Amino acid sequence: MSNWKKSLKYGTIVFASSLLLAACGNGDVPDLDEEASADNGEEAGADDSLPEIEEGDTSTLMVGLTNAPDSFNPFNRPGVAGTWIQRFFYDSLLTMPTADSFEPALGEFETDDNQVFTVTIDPDANWSDGEPITAHDVAFTLNTIAHPEVETTLGTSVAMIEGANSSGKMEDGETELAGVEVLDDKTLTITTKSPVDLAYLSEFLGFNVLIAPEHVFGDIDPVDIPNSEAATVPTVFSGAYKLVEYDTDNYVHLEANPDYYRGAPEIETVYARIMNGTAMITEFQAGNLHMAAGGGIGMVPVQDISLLEDIDGLVVEEHPSFNGQYMIINNERFADPQVRQAFAYALNRELTVENLLDGRGEVLASTYSSASPYKDEDLSPLPYDPDLAREMLEEAGFDFDTPLEFVVPTGNAVREQNGDLIEQWFTEIGVEVNQNNYDFPTWLSMAQDLDYDIGLMGWGHTVDPNIASYVQTGGASNNMGIADPVIDQLLEDGMAGTDFDERFPIYAELQQHLQDEMPIVPLYSDSQFSVQVDFLNGGINEFWAGSLYDLHEWTLDEQN
Amino acid sequence: MKKYIIKRLLTAIPVLLMISIGAFVMMNLAPGDPTDLYVTPDATPLQVEATRRALGLDQPYPVQYIRWLTRALQGDLGINYATRYPVLPILVSRIGPTIVLMGATLVVSYLIAIPLGILSARKHGTWVDNLLTGGAFVGVSIPNFFLGLGLIYIFSVQLSWFPTGGMSQLGGESSFLSVIHHLVLPVTVLSAFYIANMTRYMRATMIEVYGENYIRTATAKGLAAEVILTRHGIRNALIPVITIIGTDLPRLVGGAIVTEQIFQWPGLGRLTIMAIQQREYPMLMAITMLSAVVVLLANLLVDIMYAVVDPRIKFD
Repeated sequence: MSNWKKSLKYGTIVFASSLLLAACGNGDVPDLDEEASADNGEEAGADDSLPEIEEGDTSTLMVGLTNAPDSFNPFNRPGVAGTWIQRFFYDSLLTMPTADSFEPALGEFETDDNQVFTVTIDPDANWSDGEPITAHDVAFTLNTIAHPEVETTLGTSVAMIEGANSSGKMEDGETELAGVEVLDDKTLTITTKSPVDLAYLSEFLGFNVLIAPEHVFGDIDPVDIPNSEAATVPTVFSGAYKLVEYDTDNYVHLEANPDYYRGAPEIETVYARIMNGTAMITEFQAGNLHMAAGGGIGMVPVQDISLLEDIDGLVVEEHPSFNGQYMIINNERFADPQVRQAFAYALNRELTVENLLDGRGEVLASTYSSASPYKDEDLSPLPYDPDLAREMLEEAGFDFDTPLEFVVPTGNAVREQNGDLIEQWFTEIGVEVNQNNYDFPTWLSMAQDLDYDIGLMGWGHTVDPNIASYVQTGGASNNMGIADPVIDQLLEDGMAGTDFDERFPIYAELQQHLQDEMPIVPLYSDSQFSVQVDFLNGGINEFWAGSLYDLHEWTLDEQN
Repeated sequence: MKKYIIKRLLTAIPVLLMISIGAFVMMNLAPGDPTDLYVTPDATPLQVEATRRALGLDQPYPVQYIRWLTRALQGDLGINYATRYPVLPILVSRIGPTIVLMGATLVVSYLIAIPLGILSARKHGTWVDNLLTGGAFVGVSIPNFFLGLGLIYIFSVQLSWFPTGGMSQLGGESSFLSVIHHLVLPVTVLSAFYIANMTRYMRATMIEVYGENYIRTATAKGLAAEVILTRHGIRNALIPVITIIGTDLPRLVGGAIVTEQIFQWPGLGRLTIMAIQQREYPMLMAITMLSAVVVLLANLLVDIMYAVVDPRIKFD
């Protein structure tokens, strides 16, 4: 034991003296300085050609992403970043180059009566392992999504099909949707419960659903798919790229699929690097990124956009987005529309957009931003009028003595700052506010229990104008306790319309009604940006979600 | 000594169990259900049930805990809720980069700070001392996100001497030199704090030791100043410094959350933040337990080193 102790003792002394090696007994500082600068010089000299983008390399695309992809499972995609990355390697039936146009990808839609849709699959489309992509793959994908026990976020994408309920699920025990019929290897028909707008079906089913390979997933018990290797580490692809590696929270590595049916991609390698917004600025400044993923999953904070605009060779474009920020109101506690409207008059929403968003956004009059073709241009947001707000509250017999319980979720800097402004604006009209900040999951469960008075919430909308899940009685995201028969009727009529001209007047009426009743106060919609180097041909366009439609044609110009 | 170590290791078992129970209870007491993040609002009850089952959240809490414990003991730390990847390989892949980053930081810091502290103490009261003390004060005070962004701006963006972040070049070979090259800036940022802290500490203990009688005795004996310093001064001053090293060791795996974010270092700090934001309970449990083990081991190591350096301490 004492020997052992001795050796440990000497070991420690050796360790301690090695710590002191640089001290040279008398602790000469200049020595150290010399050593440090020699180190730096050596490292810089040995490796100073290590930028992330090799000069002249036109075969590798570097993309900046702020959110990590959460899923590679084509049936279950809770997050936007996961869906965005999956579009590199899984194709949908249709693409959406703009908000109101659809192009064939894996398939094409045809209908005579807006109820029976014939889908023809591209004759050349093959999986990356050589198997043909068939109508059976499409039917398998839809049936799997609608399987009662399969985890999926795509219920709304199949809910219109005959045989699925309003959540997009079949009855317990059923395995095939009545409305899906395979005619031959490259043709199938999809029958909806009632006639629908082709644009609605095209967006929800044609664009949102990524087709999965039956020969890979078919042998797995549908219940076990989400945790299966096929869903977490996919190896068979239909898209322009193949997934090579996902280094968790660090980067996604993709390589071109040379046999892609729409033409082999020009750019061979794509790295989507995950970093926060601040790091993204410096990476652009240092020339290490070609583009930002954009949308809600790859952009710098809005206050910092101007820093990007100052970088030579970087093109920054601003587009309206489909996102909206709202002050939601507990309609059960505030049943009087006059009180809710007064809340809207109390808020200086113009100031929010001007100061917090740097003017890069718009005040919303309803849930439809100027990105939406369904926005009623004749409807303006209610103006800021604190005196009127106070008057209306007094007239409605509002209880000024009880403070409003106000929840502001954390995670979105502009929204948090806006929360402070809102608190101040309420105080100015004599309404006391108790502001509480919670992380989003906590706030979500509070909202579901209607355990709040007012709170801030952001929603990302679809191109289709149906907002039933938010404002319909019993709607899945109706965490406001809204129960308004007029809204319900308008929503129902809106879905029964089969084209834009038929549907638009109904949604215009809905927008007016929402302003009159003010069950939620629309605040602002922040712009989305495309940020990319000027030698990238392709990239993010005005309709962000559809930007990858021509991915295989993107190129990088040679740099001098 | 051997007996002592075995005893300490055995007492660590109930401590780790208590920590795991505490962490488990706290996570589950926190409001917000992870299932909510992975189902759409219109999900049917059957579907919510399917998700809960897939995530292992369908059982009562005690059953969940026992299941976690039995699996963890067999090396299965559960899955990441979002990607459904096993936790263990992700965790393992992050330990390396963090140990590299923090190890380099601690080594660089001590190599610089200890001599600086000694110098500062020996030149006590002179301009050298004032300069070093002032510098240390700045080093402790400067926020590392500020220093980090400043260094990136100057050395990566303007001068292009060092990469802006990451541990190696994507798509390239990850050579030793490349890692060193990527290490320079983050290590500089992290070292600024440790050097400053340790210099001040070393200075204080050296001044204290130099006031002791045995130093006066040695001087009176006519020993050379170098001998007094190395044989009597430093050795005694190192005893309290070991305590500091002990508290620094757990940081080897704790990582540096802010610095790892700024430099996109693929380490445990970044992983921890992501796991907290996403309510990744299995990942958080794994990180908590890893930290607990390292803290316990570091404490044990410090106690053993005391016994070696300080003959007055005996464990029997």
